[in-house]
Amino acid sequence: MLYHRLFAGCMLLACIGLGITAWGYHAPYSYEPVGPRAYPLMLLMLLGAGALLLVFKPDLETGGETEPKIVPEMLRKILICLALLLALAALFERVGFIVTAALFGFGMARLFGGRWLPSAVLALVLALGLYFLFDRILDVPLPMGVLAALEN
Amino acid sequence: METLQYLGQGFGVALSPNNLITALAGTTLGTIVGLLPGLGPINGVALLIPVAFALGLPPETALILLASVYLGCEYGGRISSILLNIPGEASAVMTTLDGYPLARQGKGGIALSISAWSSFIGGMIATIGVVAFAPLLASWAVSFGPAEYFMLMVFAIVCLAGMAGDKPVKTAIAVLIGLLLSCVGIDANSGVYRFTFGSLGLSDGIQFVVLVLGLFSISEILMLLERTHHGQTAVKASGRMLFNFKEGASVFATNLRSGLLGFIFGILPGAGATLASAVAYMSEKRIAGSDGRFGDGDLRGLAAPETANSASACGSMVPMLTLGIPGSGTTAVMLGALTLYNITPGPLLFQNQPEIVWGLIASLFVANVILIIMNIPMINVFTRILSVPNWTLVPAIAIITSIGVYAVHATTFDLFLMTAIGVFGYVLRKLDFPLSALLLGFILGGMMESNLRRALSISDGNLGILWNSPITLGLWVLVVFMVALPFWRAYRGRRAVPLPDA
Repeated sequence: MLYHRLFAGCMLLACIGLGITAWGYHAPYSYEPVGPRAYPLMLLMLLGAGALLLVFKPDLETGGETEPKIVPEMLRKILICLALLLALAALFERVGFIVTAALFGFGMARLFGGRWLPSAVLALVLALGLYFLFDRILDVPLPMGVLAALEN
Repeated sequence: METLQYLGQGFGVALSPNNLITALAGTTLGTIVGLLPGLGPINGVALLIPVAFALGLPPETALILLASVYLGCEYGGRISSILLNIPGEASAVMTTLDGYPLARQGKGGIALSISAWSSFIGGMIATIGVVAFAPLLASWAVSFGPAEYFMLMVFAIVCLAGMAGDKPVKTAIAVLIGLLLSCVGIDANSGVYRFTFGSLGLSDGIQFVVLVLGLFSISEILMLLERTHHGQTAVKASGRMLFNFKEGASVFATNLRSGLLGFIFGILPGAGATLASAVAYMSEKRIAGSDGRFGDGDLRGLAAPETANSASACGSMVPMLTLGIPGSGTTAVMLGALTLYNITPGPLLFQNQPEIVWGLIASLFVANVILIIMNIPMINVFTRILSVPNWTLVPAIAIITSIGVYAVHATTFDLFLMTAIGVFGYVLRKLDFPLSALLLGFILGGMMESNLRRALSISDGNLGILWNSPITLGLWVLVVFMVALPFWRAYRGRRAVPLPDA
C-alpha cells in the first residue's frame, strides 16, 4: 500500500500548494459576484479531502493485492522511452520532422525488441511515409528543419 | 411527424456521396484502430480531429467521420476480444466471457457475425430511441437556466462516481483532477491567469487533444513496454462465417431486452457502456437459469453485452446532443470536436443546426449497416492485422500521436506537455484510477464553472438559486441518492453473504 499512500500524500501536498497559489487569484475589476478564485479552491478542497482519505485508508478500494511492482528492468525501459519522447519534443522543430521521426522511430523499434536492420528500414519508411501523408496529402503542416534547403 | 421529416433530411445529408465515402473510410479505419493495441475509440477519435480540421471538412462530415470511426472501433475491439481474449477496453470484458470460448470451439466466425448482428440491433434500438427522445428532451431542456445546468452536471459527475461500483472514491478523485485541469489558463470572465506558472504555452489552457492523446496513447505505450512480445496469435476464424436462422432467432429476445437496457444506461450521464454490458450479461444469465451455458460459449452470453454495449454507445448521444453533457469518454471527445467547430451542443442545436444533428443520427444508421455488410467478408483481412508485431506498431502509433498533438497549435510545448500528461496517466493507471472519468471531468469542467458563475451573477451572489426551482430541487434529490448509493451498497455488502460470481 506504500505507493498508494505515497501518491495520495503527493496529491495532498499538491492541493495545498495549488491552494496557496489560487488564494492570490483576484480580479482587478469585478463584474460578477464569484470571481476567479472560488471555483478552483472548492475543487482543491474536495480533492484534498479525497487525498486525505486515501492517505489514511489507502487500501479502501484496491481489494488488497493490486500493488504495482517496480521491476528495475521495466524502470530502465520506461526511462528510455521517456527520454525518446522528450528528445522527440525537443528536436521536432529544430531538426525537422523527417530526421527526428526517423531517429525516434528507430529508437522505439529497438526498445520494443526489433532487430537493427528492420528497425532502421521501418523508421525511414515511417518518417518519409507519414511526412508525405500528413504534410502533402492531409494538409497538416510539419516542420522541415535542417532539410528545408531540399524543399523544392 | 415533424421528426420523421427531419430524419428524412438527415438521411439526405448522410447519403450524399461525400458523406457516404467518409462513413465507409471511417468505419474501415475505425475497425483497424480498434484492433490495434494501444489505440482505442477514445484516442482513435481524438487523433482524427486535427486531420478532419486540416482537411477542411464541413462540421457535419467531420462528425460523421468521428461517429463512424467510433462505431468501427467498437467492432475492431470485438474482434480482438473474441479471437484473442484481449478486451480492448473495459466495456468489452463481458464479450470475452463467452466470445473466446466460442472461438476456441471453432465457432469464431459465427461468434463474430452474431456479435456484429447483435450490435447492429442494439444500435438500431438505440437510434430509434434517440429519434424518439432527443427532440422531446431538447424541447424540455430549452427552459433550463444556468443553475439547472450546473446541477445537471453535478448530477452527471456524482452519477459517474456512484455508479462506478467498486471504486467510487478513486473515480471521484479522477473527476476532480479533470475538473481542476480544465481551470488551467486564462479565466474567461476576469482575465486572470490561473495555474499557468508563467508559462505562455499554458495561457490558453490545456488543449483537449493534447490531454486525450497524452492520457490514453502515451500511457498505453508505456503500458505496452511490459509486453514487448512479437505479435499475437489469434484463434483462426474458420468454418461457417455466418450464423444461421436458428441461432439468430435464439438470441433475438436477448437482443431486444439488452438493447432497451443499454439505451437506458446510455442516457444516464456517466453510467456508460461498461455498466450496461455487465448488467445485460448478468440479467440474461439469470433469465436463462440452468439451461444456459454462460461462460463456456453461450450465444446469448455473447449477444447480451454486445447489444447493450452498442445501444448505450448510441444512447449516450442523447445527453450529448440535447444537453451538451457527454455520457462516455468517446462522446466527451466528440463534444470537444464540436466545440472546436464553434458548435455548442445543447437544446438550441436542434433548432439552429438540424442538419448536423439529424445528419449525425442518420449516419449512425448508415455506419451500422456498412459495418455489418463489410465485416463478415473482411474478417480474415482484419485478423491478419493482429499478427503485426509491437516493434513496428508502437513507433508508428507514437509518431502519429505526436503529429496529432503538434497539429493542434504547431508548438513543441504541447509535445512536452503530452509526455508529462502521459507519465501522469501511466501512474494513475498503475494505481487503478479510471482515466475516462478524468477526461469527462475535463470536458465538463469549463461548462460547469461558467454555468455556476452565470447562475450566481443572475442571483447576485445568492446561493439560493441553486435549489429554488423544482428542477434543481429534483436534481438535488437525485444527487443525494447517488451519493448515498455506494454507502448503502457497502453496508449491504458487509451484512449479506457475498453473492456467488456476481
